[in-house]
Amino acid sequence: MEPDELIELVRQHGKSIYAFCYRLTGNKADTDDLYQETFLKAVELRHKMDASRNPKAYLLSIAIRLNRNHRRKFAWRQRIVPTSELDAATGAGTFDSLASEATPEDAVLSLELRSMVQDAANRLGDKLKLPLYLYYTADMAVEEIASALGIPAGTVKSRLHTARKLMRQALEVESP
Amino acid sequence: MKDADLERMLRQSLASAAEPEEPLNQSIIHQITERSRMRTNYKKRLFIGLFVAIFVLIAGASAYAATQLFTAKQVAEHLGDPQLAEAFESEEAIRINAAKDSGDYRFTLLGIVSGVDLSISRHSSEDVYPNRTYAVVSIARRDGQPMPDVPDPEFGKVPFFVSPLVKGLKPWQVNIASMNGGFSEDVIDGVMYRIISLDEVEIFADRGVYLAISSGSPFYSNDAFRYDEATGEIHAREDYPGASVLFDLPLDAAKADPAKADAYVEALSNPTSDSAEQEEQEEQEEDWVQWIERLRAQVRAGELIGETIAESVQEVSYDESGDIEYSYNGWNVSRPIDQLFKKDQVGYSDYFPISGDDESYKAVLFHRDDNGIITGRVVVLSRECPGLC
Repeated sequence: MEPDELIELVRQHGKSIYAFCYRLTGNKADTDDLYQETFLKAVELRHKMDASRNPKAYLLSIAIRLNRNHRRKFAWRQRIVPTSELDAATGAGTFDSLASEATPEDAVLSLELRSMVQDAANRLGDKLKLPLYLYYTADMAVEEIASALGIPAGTVKSRLHTARKLMRQALEVESP
Repeated sequence: MKDADLERMLRQSLASAAEPEEPLNQSIIHQITERSRMRTNYKKRLFIGLFVAIFVLIAGASAYAATQLFTAKQVAEHLGDPQLAEAFESEEAIRINAAKDSGDYRFTLLGIVSGVDLSISRHSSEDVYPNRTYAVVSIARRDGQPMPDVPDPEFGKVPFFVSPLVKGLKPWQVNIASMNGGFSEDVIDGVMYRIISLDEVEIFADRGVYLAISSGSPFYSNDAFRYDEATGEIHAREDYPGASVLFDLPLDAAKADPAKADAYVEALSNPTSDSAEQEEQEEQEEDWVQWIERLRAQVRAGELIGETIAESVQEVSYDESGDIEYSYNGWNVSRPIDQLFKKDQVGYSDYFPISGDDESYKAVLFHRDDNGIITGRVVVLSRECPGLC
């Protein structure tokens, strides 16, 4: 892959890759770090990348590996900052799909609920959490997730199913 | 809770509004451009760090104003780092504009600034050493010819080493490469500008710090500099055929921290298991990549990799859009044909999903015969999962 194509990937997929990194790390500083390292690692590996073969999945797989390495290295990034605080820090109204149609009271409730969902997701192990984030945060199809994680699509479906089941259980227990 | 409600809740909650800021993207794009043209196999850390030092104008050096050059702030702006540009305008920054000639080049030290969180490019070493130093130098040809511009094939053919060196410490051991250092550079109006960054050097202020520049290699060279073991002084070798200069950096001695400096040098001399572990992981990762590449090469050469599970051999089916579909025992692969085979290609595709665990690995291979019939098969690979897979 040529540098120009890689730069195009920053433009094309940067937002969803950043969003995914944000879910993995839980705070802006680490997200910036991981996001940047992901693309710089891609520079090293660019001769192995093919623009026609789902480079987004490849980039996400790099982010996953780097994050795993960092966690191993420093036992690092375990300071899970409450995501509601982070989302608030990024500016009110950034969750536009909810904010635009909710009353202020609903928005507060929604924020609590979102925080609960995010906490529940955070508690899942990587096997279930990664497919969940790839699906809902990075907006990847099952096949693409399979490619990013190097596992069969059937396994992705099964893990998503299990993750949803556990999330449902957690939310039904925790919901007021 | 209904399925649809759960689905909606997950979508809304796990979607993230977090977006990369434009300066971050600009910085990445710039670094992609920079690194893509590097021809050498630098370790990543060579390109990422910073250094902390406070410069004072050197007595005795041929220092003079270089008003035709860009300022350190302008260079940082040009290289997409507004945060650092601002730092170079702060009271903490030292504007220097000291120049020296050597070989075919004139080197100008434009400025330096030190502190915490000064740049949008953050180095992982900042978790341990939050203070960083940034310095800007320019390199121009003495004969008035422009330095080769970035797109020029000549660009980078003469590499430069730019690094602080500390009096009393062996320069081949303590320099930008070992101090989590890095740089970015560009050519503007025929002049090359380089911003270096590395762990704080101010802690060495009481020992004496130089800024060394040499041509011919991106690494420290004993051919370009001489270290006097007795005095700890470093000298540029006059008989070096390339360029070699040293700027003295009279730092504010009050900011020296001998205890911290000793600890830092000790850490450099005896890397922790963390870095050893990182090296090991990098090696494992590379091992894994090489393994995949070897498998691909074997497939391209017509070899069948792994041991086929006989009952998995099936002709693929096609969905409405013409993508192939293959299913066997939990494997479900759906792909556009052109991602698997080039036009008129027969034999095995070198694209194959791999899955496995610590015990073993399996891959799905696709084969197209002369009649265009595509079959899929699951093969058990002979090697255990290497390293990080």
